[in-house]
Amino acid sequence: MASRAETHVPAWQRGRFASWLVTTDHKRIGILYIGTSLLFFVLAGLMAMLMRLQLSQADAGVLGPDRYNELVTIHGTAMIFLVIVPILAGLGNFLVPLMLGARDVAFPRVNALSYWLFAFGGAVLMLSFFAEGGAASSGWTGYAPLSSQAPGNGQDLWILSLHILTAASVAGAINFLVTIHNLRTRGMSWMRMPLFVWSIYIFSWLLLATLPTLSAGLTMLLLDRGISIGGWEVSTSFFDASDGGSAVLYQHAFWFFGHPEVYVMILPAFGIISEVLPVFARKPIFGYKAVALSTIAIGFFSLLVWAHHMFTVGLPNSLNAFFMLASFAIAVPTGVKIFNWLATLWRGNLSFDTPMLFALAFLSVFTIGGLSGIYLAAFPIDWQVHDTYFVVAHLHYVILGGSLFAIFAGLYYWWPKMFGRLLDERLGKWHFWLLFVGFNVTFFPQHLLGLDGMPRRIYTYSNEGWEAYNLTSTIGSWVMGIGLLVFFWNVRRTSKRGPRVGNDPWRGDTLEWYTTSPPPPHNFDRVPYVTSARPLYDLRRRLREGDGFR
Amino acid sequence: MASAVRATQLFTIGFLFFALAAFLTPAALADNGGFTPVDPASDNADGIKDTFLFVSIFALLIFLLVEVVLVTFIFRYRRRRRGRFEDGAPVHGATRLELLWTAFPIVILVAITVFVFIELPGIRGESEAEAGGNALEIDVSGRQFYWQYEYPNGVIAIDHLRIPTGVPVRLAISAPDRDVIHSWWIPALGAKLDAIPGTVNTLAFEANRPGTYAGQCTELCGVVHAKMLATVAALPESEFDAWLAERRSDQSAGTSELGEELWEGVCAKCHGDAGEGGIAPRIAGSVVLSDAESLEQIVRNGRGEMPAVGFDWSNAQMRALTTYLRENPPRGEQSG
Repeated sequence: MASRAETHVPAWQRGRFASWLVTTDHKRIGILYIGTSLLFFVLAGLMAMLMRLQLSQADAGVLGPDRYNELVTIHGTAMIFLVIVPILAGLGNFLVPLMLGARDVAFPRVNALSYWLFAFGGAVLMLSFFAEGGAASSGWTGYAPLSSQAPGNGQDLWILSLHILTAASVAGAINFLVTIHNLRTRGMSWMRMPLFVWSIYIFSWLLLATLPTLSAGLTMLLLDRGISIGGWEVSTSFFDASDGGSAVLYQHAFWFFGHPEVYVMILPAFGIISEVLPVFARKPIFGYKAVALSTIAIGFFSLLVWAHHMFTVGLPNSLNAFFMLASFAIAVPTGVKIFNWLATLWRGNLSFDTPMLFALAFLSVFTIGGLSGIYLAAFPIDWQVHDTYFVVAHLHYVILGGSLFAIFAGLYYWWPKMFGRLLDERLGKWHFWLLFVGFNVTFFPQHLLGLDGMPRRIYTYSNEGWEAYNLTSTIGSWVMGIGLLVFFWNVRRTSKRGPRVGNDPWRGDTLEWYTTSPPPPHNFDRVPYVTSARPLYDLRRRLREGDGFR
Repeated sequence: MASAVRATQLFTIGFLFFALAAFLTPAALADNGGFTPVDPASDNADGIKDTFLFVSIFALLIFLLVEVVLVTFIFRYRRRRRGRFEDGAPVHGATRLELLWTAFPIVILVAITVFVFIELPGIRGESEAEAGGNALEIDVSGRQFYWQYEYPNGVIAIDHLRIPTGVPVRLAISAPDRDVIHSWWIPALGAKLDAIPGTVNTLAFEANRPGTYAGQCTELCGVVHAKMLATVAALPESEFDAWLAERRSDQSAGTSELGEELWEGVCAKCHGDAGEGGIAPRIAGSVVLSDAESLEQIVRNGRGEMPAVGFDWSNAQMRALTTYLRENPPRGEQSG
């Protein structure tokens, strides 16, 4: 046994709750991230269901326009900044050190700081509903000058919240980068690193590269709104045309961050899929190198495509063409991934447990989201469908059908590692089918609404031709809601009664399955020498061959 | 622990997809709405629709390829009687195959790019833009929460634009410096273009058949963004010319429909069609409505949460509203 040096923990920090408040253990922080994000997920999901209720019929009166616009804004902001990104960061927190065979992240206390900043920033955003004038109501994109002119304090709190969340993410990203560079166990070269770690690596670089631009844009927005420090008034006109500013400048600042953010949300999801598919197909990932390198390629190209969100602002067509081609370029490595995943299934021995169901559903619906992205990247088509429900459908196919399905695959897959107990399979399948069907019923008709001319972010409509699709969509949202209830019921039920399944219920290939479930605070007593991207597979083979491990 | 996938489960999947398709297809084939953009009424929209269909060929092909392969593999390689942890084929990759499926999307994307550039001049209405003096130039100004149009002869219209059929039209789309960004879009006539404070964007097109085409602002512009509707009526050329001339003389005489358009487009969206109140207070019966001076004061400068909706209106435009309100005071309740 390797010797371990446990530091002294004062009695007050050992309590059931206190221990969570002071923890610097990456696993506990990861679980805190995931738990907090799921709480925000419930809130932001309820907002969506309220909006769907309002849109289920023409001229409905469920929500007033100001309340609706607040929900549009906070639903989008929360789902991105408080749900998808932090759940992925939480999984990254829990898994990266374990997958690297490390004891913790490089800076455990900075890690705790990141989490608490995130929780605080999230609380600011949610509580902004109680601000004077209500929450921000200019959309998750917060376009100036609508946002710079918005009365009340909601928009200011929105900016504050994003500033705090940005600080949290930058610290978290640096932490991941330093960890991945320095704390890989013996034998784990870059090309033997688990693909999920690869995805977190690029996720971190993207955050680091783009969040400062968002912060700059938000700071300019804040100054345009005017601040007063001790009687010293500052009010600028960065985005105010009446004083020589440019409204389009804000969009550049926002989308330079905003598009890579999409890949921040999808790359770790790709990483999860690349971990889950091989284990349930009992095969190595098809083309490890291509999958890893395509992650880098997607990350790089994602920095060059921001203005494909701005095809209708009247940029010269030379620029439109550039951003179209750069966006097309992303489709190539993304296609490589999809084909490599399919090939991973080829001649496999497939088991259909809940993680695998979510991973396969990811493949089937993410493809739709990717293909509708081609329409949007071709700028003349975007001139038609931009800012319509076609875009709403596209982004939900990518973020919900893509990121969230992968997150559920990951949660079902790593749940036994986190808590030592398996989630119930029967409830898991109910959860999966309700979500899968509800998702398609909700979002598929929205493509058609967009093509027929329904803009996004409208609180009401009078066109009766849109009613049938909208009602269908609303019904789908309730089916999804029920599916998610099943998930939370599953979590509650199995927390006491779920079967304990030992270290490695799925016979995974990566190092996290080598230690106990849940792992001890120091993670590993010893770590096997890594000889490939599938260290546990190698180990099992060596044991079978009576070679043991050194 | 885990059950092998059963045939019934797979049938369920198939059934669900089938049900979804069966449900959506008739809906999609109904007169409006479907899997393609709305019926084009200009070359611009036509070009966009063609591009859409061209991309759809490949999108459908790839979609079918991925889904068919996926479902086939799910069936073909399911576990059946094998042991749960029995290894599948030890295949680590196949470089040539991977190069192939890197190259194949590139070819498709190049094809799409070429097609886009072939269609682009038509979609941008370049021939209409170059029509020189023949083109009808109209200023389009997006404001919270109405569209204001100004014809070359000074005629002002709100929300409802009239254009001649078969004549090139050039819209100069903008927003006042103090306003926010809006986006002009009439689906049947083609591309949308943002109305941005301090910038003028030009959109040229030609309606190729008469009709009334609906659209609305597509950039979130504030509280009643959803009510910022627009219509474009393409009239036969002679009818249009007659209308424009008549509107001009009416407008200078103060008897035009402009007053009603202003009430409906600017006031009623917040205060209600009959002034009964909505997101803004009830104004029916208010003394301000019959007092031209105080009305102008409020419309030009705003009050409380009400923006200065008419800050740059001409005197004639202001008079059109006051005259209309004097003659048709809002009654406070919807008729019928």
